[in-house]
Amino acid sequence: MVIVGLVIAWAFLHVAVREWNRSGGTDGRTELVVMHWSGDGGQEEDQIVDASLRAFEEANPGIRVRRVNPGDAGSFYTKLMTMLAAGEPPDVFYVGNERVPSFADIGLIRPLEPFLDADRAANDPTAIDLADFYPATVDAFRFDGTASGRGALYGIPKDFTTVGFYLNLDLFERAGVAVPGNDWTWDDFIAAGRAIGQLPDATGSEFVTWAAMLRAYLMTEGVDVKGANFDELTIEDPRAVAALERLRAWRHDEDNTLTSGKSKIATGSSVFLSGKVGMAGPFGRWVVPSYRKIPPAGQAGGFRWDFRPLPRGAVASNIVLTVSWSIASRSKHPDQAWKLVKWMTDDRSQRDLAKLGLAIPTRKAAAMGPEFSDPTQEPANDAGYLLAAERAQVVEWPVNPQFESLFASTMDAALKTGTISVREAIDTFLRDWTSESQSPLAKADLAPMPWRGLAMAGLAALAAATAWFIWWMRSSKGSRAHRSEERAGWLLASPWVIGFLAFMAFPIVMSLLLSLARWKGVSTLEQAEFAGLANYERLLTDDARLRTSLRVTLYYALIAVPLGQAIALGAAMLMNLKVRGIALWRAAWYLPSVLAGVGVSVLWRWVFDPDGGLMNRMLGGVIAGADRMLGWFGAGPTGLVPPEWFEADAAVWGAPAFAIMSFWFMGGTMMVYLAGLQQVPIDLHEAASIDGAGRMRRFVSVTLPMLSPVILFNVIMAVIGSFQVFTQAFVMTGGDPNNLTRFYVLYLYNQAFEFYEMGYASAMAWLLLAIVLVLTVVLMRTSSRFVHHEGAPR
Amino acid sequence: MAEVILKSVGKVYPGGMRAVQGVDLHVRHGEFIVLVGPSGCGKSTTLRMVAGLEEISEGAISIGGRVVNDIAPSERDIAMVFQNYALYPHMTVGRNMAFGLERRRRHGSLLRSLLSPAYAAERRAESARIQARVDEAAGLLGLRPLLQRMPRELSGGQRQRVAVGRAIVRDPAVFLFDEPLSNLDAKLRGEMRTELRILHRRLGATMMYVTHDQEEAMGLADRIVVMKDGLVQQIGSPSELYDRPVNRFVASFIGTPTMNFIEGDVERDGNAHALRWAGGRITLPAGTTLTTARAAIGIRPDTLAPVADGPFRGTVQSIEFLGDRADVLIETSGVRLNARVPTDSARAMREGASIALGMPSVVHVFDGDGQRAS
Repeated sequence: MVIVGLVIAWAFLHVAVREWNRSGGTDGRTELVVMHWSGDGGQEEDQIVDASLRAFEEANPGIRVRRVNPGDAGSFYTKLMTMLAAGEPPDVFYVGNERVPSFADIGLIRPLEPFLDADRAANDPTAIDLADFYPATVDAFRFDGTASGRGALYGIPKDFTTVGFYLNLDLFERAGVAVPGNDWTWDDFIAAGRAIGQLPDATGSEFVTWAAMLRAYLMTEGVDVKGANFDELTIEDPRAVAALERLRAWRHDEDNTLTSGKSKIATGSSVFLSGKVGMAGPFGRWVVPSYRKIPPAGQAGGFRWDFRPLPRGAVASNIVLTVSWSIASRSKHPDQAWKLVKWMTDDRSQRDLAKLGLAIPTRKAAAMGPEFSDPTQEPANDAGYLLAAERAQVVEWPVNPQFESLFASTMDAALKTGTISVREAIDTFLRDWTSESQSPLAKADLAPMPWRGLAMAGLAALAAATAWFIWWMRSSKGSRAHRSEERAGWLLASPWVIGFLAFMAFPIVMSLLLSLARWKGVSTLEQAEFAGLANYERLLTDDARLRTSLRVTLYYALIAVPLGQAIALGAAMLMNLKVRGIALWRAAWYLPSVLAGVGVSVLWRWVFDPDGGLMNRMLGGVIAGADRMLGWFGAGPTGLVPPEWFEADAAVWGAPAFAIMSFWFMGGTMMVYLAGLQQVPIDLHEAASIDGAGRMRRFVSVTLPMLSPVILFNVIMAVIGSFQVFTQAFVMTGGDPNNLTRFYVLYLYNQAFEFYEMGYASAMAWLLLAIVLVLTVVLMRTSSRFVHHEGAPR
Repeated sequence: MAEVILKSVGKVYPGGMRAVQGVDLHVRHGEFIVLVGPSGCGKSTTLRMVAGLEEISEGAISIGGRVVNDIAPSERDIAMVFQNYALYPHMTVGRNMAFGLERRRRHGSLLRSLLSPAYAAERRAESARIQARVDEAAGLLGLRPLLQRMPRELSGGQRQRVAVGRAIVRDPAVFLFDEPLSNLDAKLRGEMRTELRILHRRLGATMMYVTHDQEEAMGLADRIVVMKDGLVQQIGSPSELYDRPVNRFVASFIGTPTMNFIEGDVERDGNAHALRWAGGRITLPAGTTLTTARAAIGIRPDTLAPVADGPFRGTVQSIEFLGDRADVLIETSGVRLNARVPTDSARAMREGASIALGMPSVVHVFDGDGQRAS
């Protein structure tokens, strides 16, 4: 007890001291918190940023910098969100240009013109002249209140990239195709792709269908998906439709011209490393560090490679993808923060970062320097990126991050997996986006949440409850000894009670309140607005994706629950046999459920991969065997092919694939069944066998009824569990294609942590609770006829 | 109805443990036979081998003239009543009783009854017959009001009655009972014992019954099989076992209170034998043949009575009044003796007082190996 107490006291003290140190109590310096990521840049980027910040500290003795690097961009945004929601954002941090609208709209980041103007007025020698930058990179951080690209400036770009294709020059040579120049066309592209696709064991090109890349592709045909604003979409423009249809045909109507859209593993930039793909893109500069690890031609796995910017269609076009240093609106030291931003985006810092090869300096002078255009390293065509920069446009994004998500998932289904036609994809996209952007929740001006009143009410309720509790304790009957025992009991339980109130009850009440609010998870709670039942209304009437997610989840539950129970029970009966080494067998069967998690999900992604995955190889073998047997009897082949679980056949086979995977985790259920089986009195089996019941009849008439309470328990747990599928889907499919594996909780997560719709997500959580509750009650009620409870009166 | 014959039956468990060996037993048609012995003596195993719940390792068992070693329990034409009743807890009393008959019905297929009206009629008739049988058995045991109840709603005695009813309904050749009364309280046990006895007379069925309670065995059995360590010690009617136990084990196992034993040295005097021990010497009954130097005499407590002067002298240690009788514990030199005496004569005794006991009418003599010698 004493040791535990000391450890806890030490832990609290440790945190307190750290916070005190952090608050800068020890020296008089101003502390700036800086946050960045180092995904593709790895350790090197981490070190470069660190060195640059240390140099800044030396140059500015009055400022202390605390650096936070959560890792990759995903972790960065998660960390940023929690810091923002806590009302303590970092002062200076990375912002990708696609996030500018959503961040600026809720006032998270500070417009920078006032600083620029002040510097200019003061003739500050460190003043930034935006003319030194590639214009598109600067415009990418502008936001006019509805979309990016115009308006106030919210960040100083630190580096950027244009996009294009990486070419395997050896394959071009083998196919006898001339290596194109920077001004190549889509006709050149596809001709090269087809020629290389004819080579044995080679594929023409990998063509990723990410939202920004598709829009870059459309821009080369002189059309974007949006018109003047995001209420007027131009995706139905004949030029856009034609370009999309063309892309779909390249992949799905031709063999080997584009990589198959089926595999979830063989996709993205890593495909190029295999040396069996002629071209890969559109990618930016960020793939270069990993491509530079390709061995030189002649060595095993080595080949020559280079870069070409996006081919031209009707027009020559490109896009910039860029990251800025931005300042939090709530920063307490904006002037020092601005100083830091200028430092981190100056010529010297940019040149330092350029050595990584990861991105292009946004200052033209730095970009032209030897740090970026290094002739000793591949790719040879560094100029290609810069040429593209001259003709690059900003990909504008609306405030609502769902635009990107909806566009990406629908286009992915049409262009990559080919689950639906281009027409269907466009219709789905337009329908969902209209419903999203036109919903009353998106448009209406709402009053702020009456937090003060709610807090008062909450405190009053708590006070009333406490008063009632004290009264109840006082008035409790019984002897002195009994009452003191009762007091001691409550005292001993109090850590749990307090913990429950603080960490369970309070969040539950908050989520209920938030379900009545419109609140971006990235803003502070004060910015939450009272939306009444609007979230629920939209949930129940106007969210096609929610309906899809419910349908997918129910489909999954209908397969996973009954089959899972049957398999677990069967396994338990096997484990109940009295054979030698049964303990080992039990452990072996239980083990997989201990291994659940992300790693196992990755493993299963390989198992279900349609190109050479274990499952389909096995099924292929079974089908081939069946065909051969049918052949002996003169019947035709079955004509069956193994399903593309998470691709073309996802509508039918997606959820079942997850169900099959869930059987892997049945160990816990099996153990409960095993315990139940061992509770069945042997007498009953003996009596039944004397009564003339065979094995099957004993199972039906003795085992099942005796096990029925256990079955009910397991079924209820399984139903609840089946509504909580998340990790597997998140890791394996991310909800693709076309939402066909977007389980309810995954969608809830998307809403909460990708679209920041915390209010809506809270409402979803309560709807989930209601659904599970109803299902459980229905199960409990209807089960009384089948479930036999020992000892319980009817 | 049938006879059950066990020929050199033995049971060896994996690992070599011999639970039962060389059991020869001929249960006559309509006989009520009770297997009795301390726990672990192999009586339940023997019964379970008859039932088919345990494999027979050695020997053969035949029921009704048919060797059943390799015949499934359900084919042996037996019914069994378990210690824990083994009622199907999810079925009503009625369904519990009908379950065995339902399993044996000839017109059981619901599907066929849907297709063929004739079959359906047969099926209905068969159902009616089953109901009639259940009703009849329920009437016999006074279970009619309970037919719709669930087992958990019944008292222990009622459950036991249902378990018996379930056996009766099947009208088997042999009834097997595995300690059926041991979960009941003493009063109920007595009542059920009487009922079983009456039932046996009424049905005239062959019954094999296992118990560890010798009183129950004495009360129920036509013949008793006493077992110990997997071996049969003696088979005989209750009075045979009581009056002429073949060895000290049977003598001590049968009868309440337990028989008194006095061990001593054998003294030969021509054809007559005498036993000398620290507290005295008595002449053994005529016809006693002893070859061992040591021997023991057994005296039933109810054959000892206080006298003015007798061969057993000592002090009264305790007196327990039981109603019309009293159990008196007497410390003689070297040996403690139990005497069951009429209450009137016990009233005259005082704890701590000296007492003399007279020579009993019957003295059982056992040789040094514990075998009967008189």
